[in-house]
Formats: sequence, C-alpha cells, structure tokens
Amino acid sequence: MLIRDLYALSLHNLLLHKIRSLLTSLGIIFGVGSVIAMLAISGGAKQAALAQIAVMGIDNIIVYSKTLRKAGSSENARSTTLEYGLTHLDLANIRKMENIEHITTARNARIRITKGIEPLDVQMFWVSRHFMTDLNCKIVKGRWLAPSDFKNSMAVCVIGKNVKRKLFKLGEKNIIGRKIHVPGGAFSIVGILENNSGTTIEGINNLNETIFIPSTTGRQIFTEYTTETGPRMLKIHHVENDLMVIKVQDTQVIDHTAKRIRSLLEKTHKDKDWGVNVPLSLLRQQESTQNIFTIVMGSIAAISLIVGGIGIMNIMLANVYERRKEIGTRRAMGAKKRDILFQFLIETVFLTVMGGVIGIGLGFGLAASVTHFSGMPSDVSLWSIIGSITISGIVGVVFGTYPAWQAANQNPIQALKAE
Amino acid sequence: MENRPEIIRLDQLEKTYYLGSLEVPVLKGIDMSIRQGEFIGIMGVSGSGKSTMLNILGLLDVPTGGHYFLDGEEVKNFSDNHLADLRNEKIGFIFQSFNLSPHLTVAQNIEMPMVYAEMPRKIRRARAIELAEQVNLGHRLRHRPAELSGGECQRIAIARALGNRPSYLLADEPTGNLDEKTSDEIMELFKELHREHNTTIVMVTHNPELEPLFDRVVHLRDGRVVKGEG
Repeated sequence: MLIRDLYALSLHNLLLHKIRSLLTSLGIIFGVGSVIAMLAISGGAKQAALAQIAVMGIDNIIVYSKTLRKAGSSENARSTTLEYGLTHLDLANIRKMENIEHITTARNARIRITKGIEPLDVQMFWVSRHFMTDLNCKIVKGRWLAPSDFKNSMAVCVIGKNVKRKLFKLGEKNIIGRKIHVPGGAFSIVGILENNSGTTIEGINNLNETIFIPSTTGRQIFTEYTTETGPRMLKIHHVENDLMVIKVQDTQVIDHTAKRIRSLLEKTHKDKDWGVNVPLSLLRQQESTQNIFTIVMGSIAAISLIVGGIGIMNIMLANVYERRKEIGTRRAMGAKKRDILFQFLIETVFLTVMGGVIGIGLGFGLAASVTHFSGMPSDVSLWSIIGSITISGIVGVVFGTYPAWQAANQNPIQALKAE
Repeated sequence: MENRPEIIRLDQLEKTYYLGSLEVPVLKGIDMSIRQGEFIGIMGVSGSGKSTMLNILGLLDVPTGGHYFLDGEEVKNFSDNHLADLRNEKIGFIFQSFNLSPHLTVAQNIEMPMVYAEMPRKIRRARAIELAEQVNLGHRLRHRPAELSGGECQRIAIARALGNRPSYLLADEPTGNLDEKTSDEIMELFKELHREHNTTIVMVTHNPELEPLFDRVVHLRDGRVVKGEG
C-alpha cells in the first residue's frame, strides 16, 4: 500500500468520528496544554529574574543599609538618636580590599516629595558619578550629572522617566531646565533617565521613579541626619550611606569577595543593619530553582501523557474490535498484516499529534490569560512546542502499537464472520 | 473447454482441525479442477465443508494435506505476505453481506483492492469509473453504500472484485441477503460477466434453485466431492 494512501485512509477514519477523536485525545490535549502553559510561565519568570539581575549588574556586589526598627534600649525616651547602616569607614575598608574595581554610592535624601500638597511615590537619592553606568541605566533626554556638577555642588537633578509623568502635566514636552522644588531647595532638571527592567532592587526603589542629585550637593543641603517627629518624641536618624554598588574586577571570585565583605561587616557592626546581594549568585540560585521546577513539571507531564496514552490505547482497542469485519474484508482484498498495522498505528499517531497541537493552542491561551489576569509574565519557547509535538508522536507510537498489532493479527476468517 | 488452461486444481486436498486432542477432519481428499472461463457452483448442505473449501480456495486458510494449484503454481508454505499478494492479484472476493465500507463512497469502495495493488490514484479512479459503468452504476460513484439498495451494493461489490483483473471470482452466497427479483438480477450480472468477458466464477451456495445456471456443479457431502469434480 502506498504511504500516501495509508495517510489518507487513517486521516479519513479519524475525521469520521470528530467528536470521538477529540474526546479520545483530551488527555493529551490537557497534558500538553498544562505543560506548555507552565513552561511559559516559568520561562517568563526566568526572563523577569534575568532582567532584574541584569539591572543590578552581573559583576556587581550590592551592599545596602537596613533600617533598624528596634530603637535601642529606651523606647519611652523623648528623643533618641538612631545610628545604623553603612558608614564611611565601611566604604573606606571595602575600598582597600582586593578585586574591587570601584564603588558607587547612593543615599536617600529622606525627604517627602509633593506636588502641591499631594505626596508622591518618588524618592530623591544623592549618588556618585558612576551610578548610571553601573546600574545599566540610559539617558533618554538631556544628560547625566557631569563632573562639574559634582565639583561645584550644583543644584541639578536627573529624573527617572516616570517622575516626569508624576510631576508635570501630560502635555508638557520639554522639561529640561525646569525646576523641581523640594524641602531644602530647588533643582534644575538636566536629564531624564530610563531603566529598562522597571524593577525594584533592595536598598533602592524603582529607578524610573527616583530623582538623582550629585552626592556633593546632597551632602551640603541635607546632611546625614534626619529627624522624625511624633507626639512627644523626636527621633534622629544618622545614616551615612544607603547603598554601595561594588564593581569587581574578576567575576570568577565574586562570591569570595562578597564573603569577605560580609565578614568585615559582621565584625564592625553589632546589629544586622546591612545586607549583601550578589546578582550573579542570585542568577545561579534562580537557575537551580528552575531546574527543580523543570523536573517537577516533567514528572507531571509524563504522568498526564501516560494517562492520556492509556486512554487512547483503550479506545483504539475498542475500535479494532468494532472494525473486525473491515479488517477481514481488507485482508481478503489483499491487505498485508503490515498494511493493517500501519493503518491503525498512523491513526493513533495522528490522534496524539493533533491532540498535541490543540494542547499547544490551549497552553498559549492559558499562559496568555494568566499573564492578562495576574500580570505574571509568560514566554512560550519554540523548544517547548517542538518538544510537545515530538512527545505526542512518541506517545502515539508507544500506545498505538499494541492495538495496531492486535488489528494486524486478527484471523481474517474470524474477522470476516464478525458483525 | 478441455483445452482451456486450468485455473484451479485440487489434488487430494485435506483439511483437519485439531481441537485439543480431538481431530476433526472437514475436507477428506478433494479432487477438483476448474478451467478458465467456467462458471462453477459449489453446493452442499451445512457442515459439508463448503466454508472450509471457500477459505482454502480464497487463500485465507491453508490445507493440512494434498495440493492446491492456482494458475499452475502450487500454493504451499507461502508466507502471509505472499498469500496476501496472491489474494490481491488473483482472487476477486464477493461476500453474502457485501462488506462494503459504509464511510467510503462507491468509487472509493471499488478502488480498495487496487489501493493494495499500489495502483496510482488516477489510474485507479479511471478503472473504478469503468467498472461502475460495467455494473450499470456509473451514476452512483459519489454515493455511499447506505444510499444504495441491496442489489446495488452487491453490484458495487462485484465491481470491486474485478478491480485487479483477478484469475477468478470467488462468491460466497452472493444472493443470500437479497430478495428473489434482485437475486435474479445479480445472477444475470454474473452470467453476463461469464458470457461476455469470459470471467471464471466459483460460487459457493446452498440454494438448489441456482443449480441450472452453472456450467457445472461440485456437490460436497461430508468433506468429499460426490459429483462434478471435473
């Protein structure tokens, strides 16, 4: 029998019973669908994590200050001074260590930024000169803070791209040169900065919603002391540094460098008022989590495909029984055993592959709706599609062989007698 | 008639079934010869060995003793595939209940044995049309068996059997499911094929009314030929 005729016959038989074929392959459809969706969501999560890590910089160590909630010993005291976070001494000590390329610092001005009397979710940071490049940001308009701005402690600022939207009216196009008024002074805008990921990192919030001023200016205007007043109390916070972005020379030993920074901070700080993040090791962690996820997913997929395959085998066995007379007639007309075998096998493989294709569509739909309703990113990879179709085909061969073998080995005399 | 080539020769053909330790001899040494162009009836009551004989003649079953020559070649120890090829090339099966595929059109049904002969699609379709016209159903090609009467179905089955120009037609009670009038029409078609196309036909039946229509009748009784071995 010609291969082409064999395909046509098998396809014809499947299309005869569209509903039955669809119901039969439901196991495969849902199995493949859920796997595609899960892989898409985990792929999306991975992409998001990668983006976030890329923001922090793969050759950076991020050291940040943590606010101490416990205000020392005297809770009832009318005035307390809280000293915490990274100090200038820490900075100097770390600078002396090996494998350090340079260090970028940032400190939150801890002022409330308002538009009229409405408080905005915007913060002001005073930062050192390499901040923009070390944190993978780019200027979309104007310029970054220039060396002369630092040298002369100029009252200039660069704003994140979302700040523009929050501070100014929609129609205002050119805001370079405009002034932002905050407690402590007015700053001329010299540039707009964009950070692609739009994610937050520990120690600093979304860079697109931050106003940056030169560190020299910041130190002059705001000092390192901030007061917090409440009913019958006064708290003075003393924080020297909020964030250090430490660029290393050799990423191979980045974990070792981070370990040394940790042990240094452990020795010099009596409280755990600091944190250290290594984006590269976060990436590795992410990858190992991903691997576990993949193994779990793979097992679930395997189980659902086995269940689906058994369902298909069952239906195909019933199908063979039902079509004995046809098998007998075909054998009498000159069909060889292998013609019958392939007829049924191809039918099963068609069934599973079609199930796989529908499942991929379902998976796309699931992933898209999860993204739509929960905002989790998703990304369907080409490999998951190719893999699903291949595995569907393999399921067809594995579970179709036995029914097809049964069909081929029907005794033609008995089969012809069947009603 | 005597100088025509022999299509079938059976020489002391035996078939014994073994049911556990029990031996059930069904055919007990059949000698028979059928020549090209003959219209032969094989008759006998049930249990006479008719069906077994049909299965062996149709190469669906193998004898346990004796010899079966088909077109001068002994059928012996052939592989399953070889037997399938012989059935495809040399034998045109016609069944009591037509055995048409309900989901295929008339044309597709007629094409079935040609599909297994790996005949190209276009040639196959042309031959199916020609055969349908030969059985006067050229206008029914796109219909499905359910839309046809019993007589029409059997005509289609006959057209199907002729597809690969077989050495002979092997019909098993072809009028068994038909009323008298249709039955006469089908027998008329067989006679026409026999008369005009010189087709060799072997028909297994238990209907004594058909006896006068055959060139010769082979009577089976209890596994032996009692009359008409040829």
